[in-house]
Amino acid sequence: MNPELSQDLSLLHLVLNASLPVQIVMALLLGASLMSWWFIFIKMFALKRALRMTDRFEREFWGGGDINAMYQRVAAEREDAGEMEHIFEAGFREFMKLRRQTGLSLNVIIDGTRRAMRATYQRELDGLESHLSFLATVGSVSPYVGLFGTVWGIMIAFMGLSSVAQATLAQVAPGIAEALIATAMGLFAAIPAVVGYNRYTHDIDRLANRMESFMEEFSNILQRQATKAV
Amino acid sequence: MNLPTDAPFVSRPAPRFAAGVLALGVHAVFVLLLVFGVSWQTQHPAPVMVDLWENLPKAAPPVAVKPPEPPPPPPVKAPEPVKAVPAPKPVADEPAPPKAPDIALEKKKAEAERLRKQKAEAERLEKLKAIQAEEQQARAEAARKAHEKQLAEQKKRELLRQMEEDLMQRTADEEAANAALAMKQAAERAAASKRQTEVARVVGQHRDQISAKVRGNTRLPDNLKGNPEVRCAVRLLPTGEVQSVRVTQSSGNAAYDEAVVRAIEKSSPLPLPADRDARAAFVPELSFVHRPKE
Repeated sequence: MNPELSQDLSLLHLVLNASLPVQIVMALLLGASLMSWWFIFIKMFALKRALRMTDRFEREFWGGGDINAMYQRVAAEREDAGEMEHIFEAGFREFMKLRRQTGLSLNVIIDGTRRAMRATYQRELDGLESHLSFLATVGSVSPYVGLFGTVWGIMIAFMGLSSVAQATLAQVAPGIAEALIATAMGLFAAIPAVVGYNRYTHDIDRLANRMESFMEEFSNILQRQATKAV
Repeated sequence: MNLPTDAPFVSRPAPRFAAGVLALGVHAVFVLLLVFGVSWQTQHPAPVMVDLWENLPKAAPPVAVKPPEPPPPPPVKAPEPVKAVPAPKPVADEPAPPKAPDIALEKKKAEAERLRKQKAEAERLEKLKAIQAEEQQARAEAARKAHEKQLAEQKKRELLRQMEEDLMQRTADEEAANAALAMKQAAERAAASKRQTEVARVVGQHRDQISAKVRGNTRLPDNLKGNPEVRCAVRLLPTGEVQSVRVTQSSGNAAYDEAVVRAIEKSSPLPLPADRDARAAFVPELSFVHRPKE
C-alpha cells in the first residue's frame, strides 16, 4: 500500500495528473464556462437597460406629450435612446418625409411608415438576441463534452488496472476521481447557460411583444393624424 | 435622394469589460469554494495504543475503596457534642471569683475610670484633629480656588488674544480669497466673451452658408426688379431638416416669395453647426432674411 499517493486528492493535483485528452476537455469546458458567463452578464446589462428605457418611453409616450417635441428629443439623443425610441424615430421620420411629398395616398404613407418601423424593429431585436445562440450551444453540448472526458479518464484508469496482479479500489479511485471532475465542469458550464438562455429568451419575447403592439398603435395614431390633416 | 439622413441607427454594444470582470469573479469564487470549502485530504486519525491487563495489580483496590471513607468522619464528630456535656466544669469554676469581690470591683471601677478618661482624651484629641484638618482643608480650598481663578483669567486672556489673532487671520484670508475670486471671475468673463465671439463667428459662418445654399436653389421670377428682401421663419429639426417655412414679411412680389419658400424647402437639410451653443441660434426656429443679390 502506498498511502501518500492514494490520499492526496487536492483539486490541483487531480487536474494536473489527468491524462492529456481529459485535460484538453477540462480546458475547453473552462473556456466555455467563462465565455457563457461573460455573455450572461453582457445580456443582463443590455436587457436591464432595454427594459428600463422601454418603460420610460412608454410612460412618456402615453403620458400625453407632444409627438413633435418627443421626436426632436429622440433625434437629438439617439445615442442614449432605447430600442422602442429608435422604432418611434424611424417611423415618425418616414411619416414626415412621405407626408411632405404631395399626391401620395394615405395607404402608401402608412405602409411606408410601418415598413420603416419594422426594419428598425428587426435590427433592434437582432441586437438583443445576439450571443443567445452561444448560451444555448454551451447549455446543450457541454455536459456531453464533460461526459466524454469522464469516460476517457475511466477507460485509462481501468487499463492501468489490467497490468496489476492484485486489483484494489485504491488503484482506480484517483483515476475515476479526476475523470469525474470533467463531468462536474461540464455541468458547471451548462447549468448557468441554460438558465440564462431560458430567462433571456423569455425577456426578449416579452419586449418584442411590447414593441410590436407599440408599432401597431403608433401606426393607428399616425393614420388618424394624416386623415385629419387631409 | 439623400441617403445619409436615411441611414439607420445601430445601437451601441453593451458594456463588455464589466461583464468580463464579473464572469472571472464568478469563477474565482467557485474555485475558492472548491479549494477551501471541501476537504480533499482524507485524514487518518493517529493510532491509539491500548494495553490490556489480565490481572490488575493489588494496589488498585484500595484506591477504588478510598472514596467510601469520608462517611466515617461524621460518626467521629458526633461524639464531640457528647464531650461538650461535661463542659459545665468552667461554670463550676466561676463561683470562685466572689472570694475577692471588692478588689475586683475597685479594680474594675478604676479601670473603667481610666478607660473613660482615656476615651475622653482621645475624643478631645480627635475633635481637635478634626478641627485642624477642617481648617487646613479650608485653607487648601481657598488656595485652590485662587489658583483656579488665576488660571481662568489667564485662559480668558489667552482666548481673547487668540480670537484677535483669528480675526486678523480671517480678514487676511478673506481678502486673499476675494482677490482670487475676482481674478477667477475675470478669467471666466474673458473665457465667456471669447467663447461668445467664437459662437458668433460660427453662427455667422453658417448663416452665410445657408444663404448661399438657398440662393443657389432659388429660381428668380422674370418680373423681379431691384433687390427686394423677404423674411421667413423656418422651423428646423436638430438634424437640419426643414419642418415648415412661413413668410413673416413679404417682398411685395408674391411669385418671388413663393420662389424663396420653395428654395428653402429644397435646401433641406440646411448646414447646421456641430457646436451645441451655436446651434441654438438655428433650432428650433430660424428667422431668415433673403435677398436675390448679395
